[in-house]
Amino acid sequence: MAEITPFTYRPGDSSLHFLDPRLKFFIVSLISVSLVGAGFISTGICFLMLVLSLKKTGLHFFSILKHLKLFLALLFFIFLARAVTTQGDILVSVYGLALTRQGLTEGGLVAFKFFAVMLTGLMFSVTTRPSSIKAAVQWFLKPVPLVPEKRVAVMISLALCFLPVILRQAKEISDAQNARCAHLQKNPVRKTMGLVLPLLKRTVLSADRLVLAMESRCYRDDRTDPEFNPSGREPLFLFGTLALCLCLLLC
Amino acid sequence: MTASTDLKMTVYASLFVALIAVGAFIAIPIGPVPIVLQNLFVLLAGLLLGPVWGLACVAVYLIIGLAGLPVFAGGTSGLGKLFGPTGGYLLGYLPCVFITASVSKGLGKKTAFDILAMVLGSLIVYAAGVPWLKAVTGMSLEKAVMAGMVPFLIGDALKIVAAAFLAKTLRPLMKL
Amino acid sequence: MPTAILDIQDLSFIFDDGYIGLNRISLSIRQGEFIILAGKNGSGKTTFLRHLNGLLRPTSGRVRVNGKEISTHLIETRKTVGMVFQDPDTQMVGDTVFDEVAFGPENLKQPRALINEKVSRVLKALNLFHLKDRHPSTLSGGEKRKTAIAGILVMDPKVIVFDEPFSNLDYPGILQVLSTLMDLHRAGQTLIIATHDIEPIVFEAGRMIIMENGSVMEDGAPLDLVPCLESYGVREPCFSKFGLQPRPWQK
Repeated sequence: MAEITPFTYRPGDSSLHFLDPRLKFFIVSLISVSLVGAGFISTGICFLMLVLSLKKTGLHFFSILKHLKLFLALLFFIFLARAVTTQGDILVSVYGLALTRQGLTEGGLVAFKFFAVMLTGLMFSVTTRPSSIKAAVQWFLKPVPLVPEKRVAVMISLALCFLPVILRQAKEISDAQNARCAHLQKNPVRKTMGLVLPLLKRTVLSADRLVLAMESRCYRDDRTDPEFNPSGREPLFLFGTLALCLCLLLC
Repeated sequence: MTASTDLKMTVYASLFVALIAVGAFIAIPIGPVPIVLQNLFVLLAGLLLGPVWGLACVAVYLIIGLAGLPVFAGGTSGLGKLFGPTGGYLLGYLPCVFITASVSKGLGKKTAFDILAMVLGSLIVYAAGVPWLKAVTGMSLEKAVMAGMVPFLIGDALKIVAAAFLAKTLRPLMKL
Repeated sequence: MPTAILDIQDLSFIFDDGYIGLNRISLSIRQGEFIILAGKNGSGKTTFLRHLNGLLRPTSGRVRVNGKEISTHLIETRKTVGMVFQDPDTQMVGDTVFDEVAFGPENLKQPRALINEKVSRVLKALNLFHLKDRHPSTLSGGEKRKTAIAGILVMDPKVIVFDEPFSNLDYPGILQVLSTLMDLHRAGQTLIIATHDIEPIVFEAGRMIIMENGSVMEDGAPLDLVPCLESYGVREPCFSKFGLQPRPWQK
């Protein structure tokens, strides 16, 4: 997955990396929810903190912006839509669309907050190993009735294993077809089928082999639970987050 | 259901979780709006896995995206995406896969009925996605439809036709 | 004489479409034997191997592991007979080498501390410990094969079955796997290796079984059977073709 998105896990030794994933998930959710009710100043503070800690994990702010192009375009769209639909003091009026001061602030704030929430999510993905995420999901699903949390955890592992296999095969298939001038094919249904059918056939075969491998390794639903290794700084982070969220909600 | 078919369905459902995730990244360049394969795989998951496993598959996809694995479009994840402007489409996949699977299963997995099932499923995605987009962005319903539905309809029609053929070929292969 | 660990009597298997996969095979395999199972593609090697730990059930005849019928002692036989499949990419279920190896013991619901200790020990024994945090898909071919072997070894099997362990490997990869196999053999493991390229192991193995069309055609000392290999569609090793003395691959 690393080759298609920069937002996969990056090994590192920041204190965020060693935080218990369950607490980290809780913190991220708390910040995301608190941001919804936040004002400009507190969102700004939060934003600054996010950018600083992202820098520590080795992700550069501008490379993030580059990869979030589509999302940023969407945010700009939201900003514009808000700016012209909110009632208030009219600044400019074009073709009957009135740009209001309240609209600009309102739209700007909404877009800013969405962006901050997005960064919070990124921060979590970049500093948490997929297997820790899986373990945390299993732990959070445990009290939920009717959900077989161990099965879900195995499905997550398997899906993560299939990702590189699928990507590699998709690349191979499209290369093999382009080598035989498949790009000249204009019929879009044929074009889609040409990629997807061999991809599915091959991956289904891999899935069949995986079933055998899992069976021969005694796969059962009732498995050993994952373990968590808290770093000891959890209370510090918890109180810090609570303070930040209070600040977000009050300012 | 024996333990072995249970395991088989678990693996197939996981395969489709991965395919739906990959589908957000691989696009077939045709015309101005490239065909993204994500909803094709959601529809196929419905046709091939059936209502229960199809629903499980989409639910696991949403869970891992929510939990922070970068599997949503553009390599993003988290609450911000799931409840952001385009979150309605993602959540709409849940009823979509269930309805598609149930209709196809109920009517006997014939190609014509599969197409009907997928048309219904696709409409459900828009029924969830467009009002959500409208609510978050604050634009009028008309504009939301123009921006969040109309440009994708031709691609959807193509994908539904492709998915019907794919399902027909793959069902015997997967021994479903 | 040591007792038979695998006892196969009159084993036949017919596929759903009526194709005869195995035709009345009777064999006895003793603890500590190093066996080559040779034959061209489609000769029934894989079908035969899959009966050894209950992935396929015989149409008639029976397979006993340590004197116990497979169908009634499934988990036990799967622990006793470990299977390393041909394509390592489709048998990996963990997102790090460590998790991948831990998969089997987790299925047996062994306690976490025991799992950690066993996995570390096996990884060190196979010289893989420095790779424990790597994603399996980023390893070299030989390392992947060895990781797959580690995932089996950690279950403490008595017999390890390999399906084409040298396919798709470069020369260093073959040497890596070969030295692992030799170490296992010296440690007293029973090894069964299905392959259509016998060159790397013909000198080390103690017994060779040649299959064709689902039947056992020859069973004897590898170096004695070398001249008749090509009549069964298996390439004769170079040394015997050119009338040279056999020499081991490993120095």
